[in-house]
Amino acid sequence: MRASRAVVVVGVLLALATMPWWARDQYQLHLAALIGVYWILIAGLNLVVGYSGQLSIGHVGLLAIGAYGFAILTGRYEWGPWWALAASGGLGSLCGLLLGLPSLRLPGFYFAMATLAFALIVTEISLAQGDLTGGGTGLPVPGFTAPFDSPGGFHALVLIVAVLITWLTWNVARFMWGRALIAVRDSVVTAQAVGVPVFRAKLLVFVLSGLTAGVAGALFASLQSYITPDTFVFELGLFFFVCIIIGGRGTIVGPLIGTAVLTALPEIVAPLARWSTFFYGLLLLAVVLLVPEGIGHMVEIVRARLRPRSLASFAVAPDAERLARCLRSEPRR
Amino acid sequence: MLTALVTGIAAGALYAAAALVYNVMFSTSKVLSVTTGHLAMLGGVFGAWLTAGLGWPLPVALLGAVAIGAAFGIATEWIAIRRVLSRSDEHLWLLSTLALATMLQQGVALWWGTEPKPFPRLIPQDFSAGLADQKYWLPVAIALLLALGLEVFYRRTLYGKLFVAMSEDAFAARARGIPTDLIRSLSFALAGAMGALAGFAAGQLTFAYFALGLTLTLNGFVALAVGGLGSNLGALVGGLLLGVIGAFATYYLGGEYQQTIAVGVLMLVLLLKPAGLFGSASIRPV
Amino acid sequence: MSTLAARDVTKAFGGLTALAEVSLEVAPSEIHGLIGPNGSGKTTLLNALSGYYLADAGRVTLGEADLTRVSVQRRAFAGVARTFQKPRLLPTLTVVDNVMLGGWPAVRSSFFGTALSWLRARREEKVLRERAEELLHGVGLAPVMTRRASLLEHAEQRFAEIARGLMAGPRFLLLDEPAGGLTPHEIEQLGVVIRTVRDAGIGVLLVEHHTDFVFRLSDRVTALDLGRVIRQGTPAEVRHDAEVIRVYLGA
Repeated sequence: MRASRAVVVVGVLLALATMPWWARDQYQLHLAALIGVYWILIAGLNLVVGYSGQLSIGHVGLLAIGAYGFAILTGRYEWGPWWALAASGGLGSLCGLLLGLPSLRLPGFYFAMATLAFALIVTEISLAQGDLTGGGTGLPVPGFTAPFDSPGGFHALVLIVAVLITWLTWNVARFMWGRALIAVRDSVVTAQAVGVPVFRAKLLVFVLSGLTAGVAGALFASLQSYITPDTFVFELGLFFFVCIIIGGRGTIVGPLIGTAVLTALPEIVAPLARWSTFFYGLLLLAVVLLVPEGIGHMVEIVRARLRPRSLASFAVAPDAERLARCLRSEPRR
Repeated sequence: MLTALVTGIAAGALYAAAALVYNVMFSTSKVLSVTTGHLAMLGGVFGAWLTAGLGWPLPVALLGAVAIGAAFGIATEWIAIRRVLSRSDEHLWLLSTLALATMLQQGVALWWGTEPKPFPRLIPQDFSAGLADQKYWLPVAIALLLALGLEVFYRRTLYGKLFVAMSEDAFAARARGIPTDLIRSLSFALAGAMGALAGFAAGQLTFAYFALGLTLTLNGFVALAVGGLGSNLGALVGGLLLGVIGAFATYYLGGEYQQTIAVGVLMLVLLLKPAGLFGSASIRPV
Repeated sequence: MSTLAARDVTKAFGGLTALAEVSLEVAPSEIHGLIGPNGSGKTTLLNALSGYYLADAGRVTLGEADLTRVSVQRRAFAGVARTFQKPRLLPTLTVVDNVMLGGWPAVRSSFFGTALSWLRARREEKVLRERAEELLHGVGLAPVMTRRASLLEHAEQRFAEIARGLMAGPRFLLLDEPAGGLTPHEIEQLGVVIRTVRDAGIGVLLVEHHTDFVFRLSDRVTALDLGRVIRQGTPAEVRHDAEVIRVYLGA
């Protein structure tokens, strides 16, 4: 099982890495890079929404901050793109901290509304601060330096960052923090009972998601090469959110596939583009009503149903000696 | 200055109406529906379409818009609330109403267009009235009417008393034989009608615009949270407060920071008085 | 010797006094039974000891340390673990993951250390997993270790919660009606587990309706009624106390 999963991961990575050599046109490369950029944001948001259960629908605001940060630092202040990329990540996490500090203490709907408001506020400010952001006209964004200035090079850069971010979030998810976050999502009472600092856990992943959103913003701006406030409409934030809910909460693969499919679909099926946001709403409604755990969990659920019931019945038979031996060994210090 | 203030009061009245709509749905379901603002949007868009598009006489168009709002309210309860409430996962209703609101907003955008369109005059009046123009006082009148009507409804009518009983303890209400599913449906129908009416009355202020829904969902919620969840008096005060503060902000800082100010107010109130100005002791775990 | 103690704890909800100056002490290597009719304040007292309720008056102490104002989380770190009347496992995680979660107080890796998968995080993970598997073998749940917790039978959930409580090596384990819904055979097995826990030096507070079970297992018993202690002593003393018989055990 483990080995086969590793084979799949390596295979997919190889296919993606060699894409510049087999892609049919530049557009496919652009699309792949766009999916990668979205995924960089969604990977972090997934820890917030899918793991800790905080329904942030306004992450597009953090994406915009990263994008404008990158555009302004490289364009106006002539920073090198690498420094600007790092600064965008830092800016994103700082804004995540400032947004999370007051709002993560609030109950679910209040928090969702606070993130929605945040997204609208960012749009307002980007329109109002015309001197800095170009207002409604927007800003041109410089690209990266060689060898990352070509479509193939940029694709490689996005792939590297995406793999790195995915690895980070995977580590958070698979070790103790992942369990703690799921406890925060499914039962705060349980989380408290075992000692998980609920607010701090929520805040930490939120700050991390700010970092990935900031980095994604910088790459997004560079990929689009021109940004305006209209680039960062609320519907885009909704789109990120829907990718996660549809992919399934508490997994990484589900939202990853969700991101790829939902990004590519309206691009490939052109008539869908007009209807895309309507379609996301419909999809979200269908998932909530029919498979609230998300499509990513369907395989698992079906498998559990098919499993022979004979395994289910057995008598609990404690092994007192083994338990005693285990209790005598101190787990800490 | 005065213009800004009057506009602010009118907008605040619309926020207050949205907050009242939140309360009506919340009372029977404990759900804060994302579709709240979209109900008013329906009132505006369908009001404009029925009058200007189909040429219906005003009273009939008003009835039509209100009926559409009520129908959408019932549909919301039926599709997004009923099945989800039985699952007792507090997140699901947020997702289902968000999904429905998105579909509605996009559906209207595709059918009606994304440009704001003018809303007809409701009362014969020439355009020289300035600040006494109907577009300013109609929303205020409707918000007050809705608040008063709700009060009478809750105190004087059988159904109103059933609403109150269900809002205090839904389990006990069901145990005493109250048809809770029906009452919840009715409350959503009432909310839909109220929202559409408010949207209709404010149509000349907001125009018939598809994107009104989301901002009104947010601003109505801010008014609600500032005033205190569950309190109708709080909804009125919160809405007007928000509108007036927005007006001052527009006057002194320019119109660019409306949302920023609104949310700033919300955060300040929640920090100082988490239950809102007229709310009960603790934030309900919604 | 450090004990977990409630001293003159009072707790009221609105006008209703749930606990009135209740004192109770759980010593290490002791099973302390807590009985009483419904609404007598048993679970309220357990919640006051584990920190879910803060006492209106009185103190909660662990040894020399005053826990009265301390959060649930910090009590968990101080060595107070508990189970719930209705088991609260995380439904989407496997049994072994649920038990590992109980090891949270033993984790030293920081968030960013974990994100970067430092050696320490991986080593801690390995140690915790081994201990969780050992504990599951110990309480007899080895066959369902990798199953999703939502698929467990009721009794299995109870035993899994106990394993989770033991994960961090607590000094005190508070059990809220652990025998509820178990068959007589399963109750016997539960007794074996609780005695083993006691013999390992852990103090156990046993809140339970099943009085025979409590009297058979406990070293000391406290009986509550209407938020007051009506009798405290050995099982034999409490069982034959006239007041206890009148309000709870029946003639």
